Amino acid sequence: MRNTTLVGLGALAILGGAAAAATNQVITQKGRAFSAESIAIKKGDTVTFLNDDTVPHNIMSMSKGNEFNLGSQGPGASTSVTFNETGDAAVFCAIHPRMRMTVKVRE
Amino acid sequence: MTLSCLIISSSHGTPRHTRWNCDAETARAIGLRISFAAVALAVVVPGLPAQRGHAAAIVGETHYAQPTTQPPRTPEALKEDYRRPSTIPFPKENPYTPAKAALGKRLYFDTRLSGGNVLSCGTCHSPAFGWGDGLPKGIGHGMRQLDRRSPTIINAAWGQIFMWDGRAATLEEQALGPIQAAAEMNLPLDVLMDRLAHIKEYQPLFAAAFPNEGIVPASVAKAIATYERSVVSNPAPFDAWLEGQSAALSESARRGFALFNAKAGCASCHAGWNFTDESFADIGLPGDDVGRGKLATGVVKMQHAFKTPGLREISHRGPYMHDGSIPTLEAVVEHYDRGGIDRPSRSDLIKPLGLTAQEKADLVSFLNALTSRIDPTIVPILPR
Repeated sequence: MRNTTLVGLGALAILGGAAAAATNQVITQKGRAFSAESIAIKKGDTVTFLNDDTVPHNIMSMSKGNEFNLGSQGPGASTSVTFNETGDAAVFCAIHPRMRMTVKVRE
Repeated sequence: MTLSCLIISSSHGTPRHTRWNCDAETARAIGLRISFAAVALAVVVPGLPAQRGHAAAIVGETHYAQPTTQPPRTPEALKEDYRRPSTIPFPKENPYTPAKAALGKRLYFDTRLSGGNVLSCGTCHSPAFGWGDGLPKGIGHGMRQLDRRSPTIINAAWGQIFMWDGRAATLEEQALGPIQAAAEMNLPLDVLMDRLAHIKEYQPLFAAAFPNEGIVPASVAKAIATYERSVVSNPAPFDAWLEGQSAALSESARRGFALFNAKAGCASCHAGWNFTDESFADIGLPGDDVGRGKLATGVVKMQHAFKTPGLREISHRGPYMHDGSIPTLEAVVEHYDRGGIDRPSRSDLIKPLGLTAQEKADLVSFLNALTSRIDPTIVPILPR
């Protein structure tokens, strides 16, 4: 059991080293608009989508390798998304399609 | 210092979250540097089709904070959200010219834009019916009933996505859609171009509107869209009230305005001067039509979702809803008061409202105050 745990931690140590510089940016949604049209992050970084608006939003992306769908989230909800594929991820609100932004994921 | 570490993994398609705490010293001792480390073996994204063969973004846990409570806005403050714009927006890709609008008006009312030579854009989007057709559902090629109600084109200039299901990104794209659709006007574009090229009096109109471009589909689309953008609702009693004419709205309509923005929650989607935020929602109507869900397969909230229509000139635009299933504004308010069908796709904003009979009447009074005296539209003499 102990050996199994150490092997697991060792694997995490390698991956943890790769994520050493991982950062978290917060994107808000007040007034049915993202707080930024475009952000640049590194592969493995996290973006937190915070609904500080007065209506629900359904934030998602269908960009290959960075697909996600947060479902309908009411005011006050926040969820972090880690982007692991390099490229430009088009992020939008399914409910309000004019809410669009790009997450540029770089190495 | 305690670090919170999170692993998200997938087991038989079910995301699993494993969270534990460790102190920083322990983490350093094992060479572990974790910020918000997450390791995914595979990730299932709820609401999206299964993506095999490649990974997806990793979704963490959702946290909920108490939304900041805002003091109720006064009617004076709310008025600012609804003031009429002073100019019509035209896209830089298709700026307004009088020649384009004049050509577009002729094309809009020309039945030769349909395979059977009997349907024009104006047949289903007629100025005589609030720029709709007054029918529960449109009538297309061969007099066959279509699946949805013909939406108005009033204030289309402010639209940002078009059709009940949002399948057209621009008004130009929308303009060519019904012409080609077999169920609607049923005319292939190459046949249309040939027809127009042989109508002598169209040639100078195209030359004036689109020098050096000729009679091509893009010109037809731009001309029709330009004309449609010129169709703007006239000032209504509500606008006069916004401008300070206090007697322009009845007491009942003023109460309706307050309800619209608060208890009834209408403004959560019917926002802004044109009374739409261009959103898509399932409002709990019965029926098999999944609307935008057909384009957004697997996105729960898009099943049975349709575009929020504007409310200008609404008294002239019945019957209502995407399927024309509700005949009057009174019945529309009753529907929202009941909250419709409770199902996973229903918008989180749609729920029973508990309105009194007086409140329902006040809302209808307010809605009627959004209708102007529409100017008669002169139908053009068509080129021959």
